[in-house]
Amino acid sequence: MSAAPVKQLDLMPPPVVKTIAQRSLIVGIVFGIVAIILAFIRPDEFYRAYLLGFMDWLGVALGSMAIIMIRHLTGGGWGVVIRRIQGAAMRTLPLLAALFIPVILGIHKLYIWAQPLDRVENTHLREHLKDITKTYLTTSGFIYRAIIYFAIWNLLSFLLSKWSQEGDKPGARDNTGRFKAVAGPGLILYGFTVSFAAIDWVMSLDPSWISTIFGLVILIGQVLAAMCFAVVVERILFNYKPMSEMLTPDFVHDHGKWMLTFIMVWAYFNYSQWLIIWAGNLPNEITYYLRRLNGGWGYVGLFIVIFHFAVPFGILLSRPFKRNIRKLVWLAVWLMVMRYLDLYWIIEPNFSKTFNFTISDLVVPVAIGGLWLAFFFRNLAALPLLPLYDPSAVEVLDPEPHHPENA
Amino acid sequence: MKRDPIYGIMAEFDSAQALVDAAHATHQAGYQKIDAYSPFPIEGLAEEIGFHHDEVPLVVLIGGIIGGLTGYLMQYWMSAVDYPLNIGGKPPHSWPAFIVITFEMTILFAGISAVFGMLALNGLPMPYHPVFNVPRFALASKDRFFLIVFSSDKKYDPAGTRQFLEGLKPRSVSEVPS
Repeated sequence: MSAAPVKQLDLMPPPVVKTIAQRSLIVGIVFGIVAIILAFIRPDEFYRAYLLGFMDWLGVALGSMAIIMIRHLTGGGWGVVIRRIQGAAMRTLPLLAALFIPVILGIHKLYIWAQPLDRVENTHLREHLKDITKTYLTTSGFIYRAIIYFAIWNLLSFLLSKWSQEGDKPGARDNTGRFKAVAGPGLILYGFTVSFAAIDWVMSLDPSWISTIFGLVILIGQVLAAMCFAVVVERILFNYKPMSEMLTPDFVHDHGKWMLTFIMVWAYFNYSQWLIIWAGNLPNEITYYLRRLNGGWGYVGLFIVIFHFAVPFGILLSRPFKRNIRKLVWLAVWLMVMRYLDLYWIIEPNFSKTFNFTISDLVVPVAIGGLWLAFFFRNLAALPLLPLYDPSAVEVLDPEPHHPENA
Repeated sequence: MKRDPIYGIMAEFDSAQALVDAAHATHQAGYQKIDAYSPFPIEGLAEEIGFHHDEVPLVVLIGGIIGGLTGYLMQYWMSAVDYPLNIGGKPPHSWPAFIVITFEMTILFAGISAVFGMLALNGLPMPYHPVFNVPRFALASKDRFFLIVFSSDKKYDPAGTRQFLEGLKPRSVSEVPS
């Protein structure tokens, strides 16, 4: 093909983005005030809900960073068209680092290993904690490790954003090689840091229980949430230029395929964990599922199996569905709700043997989400929706080959 | 049924784009029963000749469901009916243990259905096909692109169709004997 002139488009996001940022901030502040009140009157419930909300929104940010790194390694227009959406999500990591402080403040309320050992009633658990609270599960270790995770994530995010922004100016150097050099090791680092963070922040809620695949269970949930979030935001932007010009059914199709893939991997990891624990049938392992299948929690689990996997899987097999952004967006919204429910089912049964949904479980995640979305949409408004002078931009602006059915 | 001595009229083109444009024009002109041949897959060509309904996915879905059921029922019959064994004190019919094989059988059957379904829907293997009666058609596997209007088409008439195809500026137009 000859060097056809790229479409002339104003690539800045529509003004509606700033409006959404303001409204999100209002929601975040209103729910935040209620959350602070709950923190004083019902601190136990507040901190559990806080951990839930934090893990949920952290997942969107980290998953977005992971998908950006995947695209830097594989290429593909599907990733270029949502690159700035995911970049804006990734650049919320400094906010999430600040939002981690309440988890540290609530460490004694959340984690049984952070309490004085003589307060632990279960004698087996006390024996177990005697050693591990001297080595790995210490308050200072918990904080230092969290600092390391956030430092690594923010460094990756900083480098990827900095080079991406160079592509907004004419005569930008080709950063493809640099992106690849960071994305490869970055994805490996992401896998390790998320696994350790999942162990520290979630798995250690039940310090006697171990599952080696648990980190991957959290990781795949993050990338799934991130892809669904990108689909939701691209749908909002699709009502306006330039996204209405950029987003073709082929790209939407690819996003739908990613959703299907991540759902299947999510089911695969969760099923592996369940099958191995079920087959081994060891007392210290099965406690996890005994808690989550009894006392009413089993219905939540069954609901998750059907509506986080089976039904979305069946729907996503349809090719016309995946190619239609107006339909796909509803499944994406639904799956984001399912991510919340899945994390709720992982976290909350640690504290309550019977089904228990508190007002905090609703208010606190919405409060964190409001603040997070305000910051996200502020980030999104700051940059063009495409780095025009990056070599990858042609994959969206001058897509080849020609698809008559898209016309 | 007596076979029409003429199978159709075939036009030869130099480039993929010329073929796509010609297919588009022919379809627009109202011809329904047309086909196109090229040495490599051309994106969008299938749509231009009016081919919209790919039935392979349905075959694959049915194959997958049959495979999954076969896998599960096979294990159920072996473990719970034919030769029940006490494994770790678990009941003979333990569904969690069956899922892995059920999944693999689903994939296997779906994969095999995809291959054989595609072959069957294409009518393969096909030892004889009239288009090869045109000597120049051998170039379809090299560097030429062909469009054919079948004589079974409602709008087909030997002189008019030939004239129409010649209007598309092909390299050559030939009648294809059955």
